[in-house]
Amino acid sequence: MNDLLSFWLDSLPALLDGLTVSLEVTGVALAIGFPLGLLLALGVQSKARSLNLISLCVVEIGRGAPALVVLQFAYFGLPQAGLTLSSFAAAVFALAWNTGAYTSEIIRAGLESVPIGEIEASSAMGMMRVDTLRFVIIPQGLRVAAPALLGFATQMLQASSLCFAIALPELTSNAYVIGTNTFRYMEILSLAGILYAAICVPATIAVGVLEQRLGKHTR
Amino acid sequence: MMNLNPDTLKLPQRELAGQADKPILRLEAIRKVYGKHVVLDDLNLTLRSGEVVAIIGPSGSGKSTLLRCINMLGPATSGRVVVGDLAIDESIPPTAQQLTSLRRSVGMVFQSFNLFPHMSVLRNVSLPQERVLGRSRKDADKRSRELLARVGLAEKADQYPARCSGGQQQRIAIARALALDPQIMLFDEPTSALDPELGLEVLLVMQELARSGMTMLVVTHEMNFAETVSDRVIIMADGKIIEEGPSKEVMRDPQTDRAKRFLKAVKDR
Ligand SMILES: Nc1ncnc2c1ncn2[C@@H]1O[C@H](COP(=O)(O)OP(=O)(O)O)[C@@H](O)[C@H]1O
Ligand SMILES: [Mg+2]
Repeated sequence: MNDLLSFWLDSLPALLDGLTVSLEVTGVALAIGFPLGLLLALGVQSKARSLNLISLCVVEIGRGAPALVVLQFAYFGLPQAGLTLSSFAAAVFALAWNTGAYTSEIIRAGLESVPIGEIEASSAMGMMRVDTLRFVIIPQGLRVAAPALLGFATQMLQASSLCFAIALPELTSNAYVIGTNTFRYMEILSLAGILYAAICVPATIAVGVLEQRLGKHTR
Repeated sequence: MMNLNPDTLKLPQRELAGQADKPILRLEAIRKVYGKHVVLDDLNLTLRSGEVVAIIGPSGSGKSTLLRCINMLGPATSGRVVVGDLAIDESIPPTAQQLTSLRRSVGMVFQSFNLFPHMSVLRNVSLPQERVLGRSRKDADKRSRELLARVGLAEKADQYPARCSGGQQQRIAIARALALDPQIMLFDEPTSALDPELGLEVLLVMQELARSGMTMLVVTHEMNFAETVSDRVIIMADGKIIEEGPSKEVMRDPQTDRAKRFLKAVKDR
């Protein structure tokens, strides 16, 4: 027992460094992916043909291709086309695309939940479509989508472990390296799991609280 | 159906002097077709400035469709809508400018209130003024508070709509539409979603509005409102106007069989 604790203690700094990278790559991917998801949701709903088509393609490829494939494509494939990305940039590219594609569906469902009557009232008053989107549809749609988006964010943190495949020094990679050096895979991966859970479990609880709070002003 | 106390609705004769004969809204040969189904059948209608006209008729007769043609929420298949100097051919897409101008002139109140639930009552009334009329926040809020006071809800300004009763929400919706200074107000069964007492508060606000000289076109199930508040009643059936005239005459002594049957059915309910 003492042995395990001191092993964990020794490994903790490397794992915390890894966790920091995991959080960074997830954070940046979400910061790009959520707005992308909103744009894609609007694009998919748009009546403009070309915009609609492009959005659909981006969404369908993002949802259809496994994140690991997109990740490796960005890191190993793009250099062939003359575009070399750091492992961090490649990870952000892949995870942001994935986030944009999946959250566009969540956000679209949120936008569509806004009652048609409110939208009609808004246009009957002469509000421009952009104003109706900005002040009526998007705020309410995002509020509806918020819990699912935050749930998705925790899944994304977990999915960032895929980045070990492109040698990004995130939590899983660092744990794996320690495992390779010490052959104590079980202990080190358990600690990594505990660290993921330390973030995700409180986040999940926060989502529940948020869900209740957001319900307050609505019917 | 609600029984309005006739005394509460007894009105002093409204002042229509001067502009009484000036048409403010004209509908010409409005026709609306869904597939083969003719919903509005070459309908004509003129409203004079300050006039209050009630539209009654069985459900499905095209009343809502007609109102939605007027502000082009659902344009007609063919026909013309003339509001003041603005003439719109319903069969072709309007220019953005025509649409803006039309919707500034014509306010609408819906059966289901359609307030924005994520905004305070004050924001609900102020935001459209800011976005549509370009009023400053301060000016818009000032106007909103005046109108909320006028509909008896000054103290609700900072609440959210969900904290208000249905009757209060509908009065807020009326204030919100009035805040844009429309020339004509359309009402689509504004009290149908409300319990009788709550409907009464709304009807009293509408009565006050009518008295103030607002031009109003009101689709309603409230036969007392039609008879005692409106100047004229229109009975619709199957997309046509089947009877039209001064309120008391139409309500008490309809000429067509179809109108007689409808009014009898409503009164027996
Ligand atoms: N979007 C639509 N598609 C097809 N038919 C419709 C549509 N909207 C309304 N209608 C038909 O038009 C007729 C008139 O409807 P409406 O104007 O709502 O009547 P009212 O308001 O008098 O009850 C009804 O027969 C209805 O079924
Ligand atoms: Mg109707």
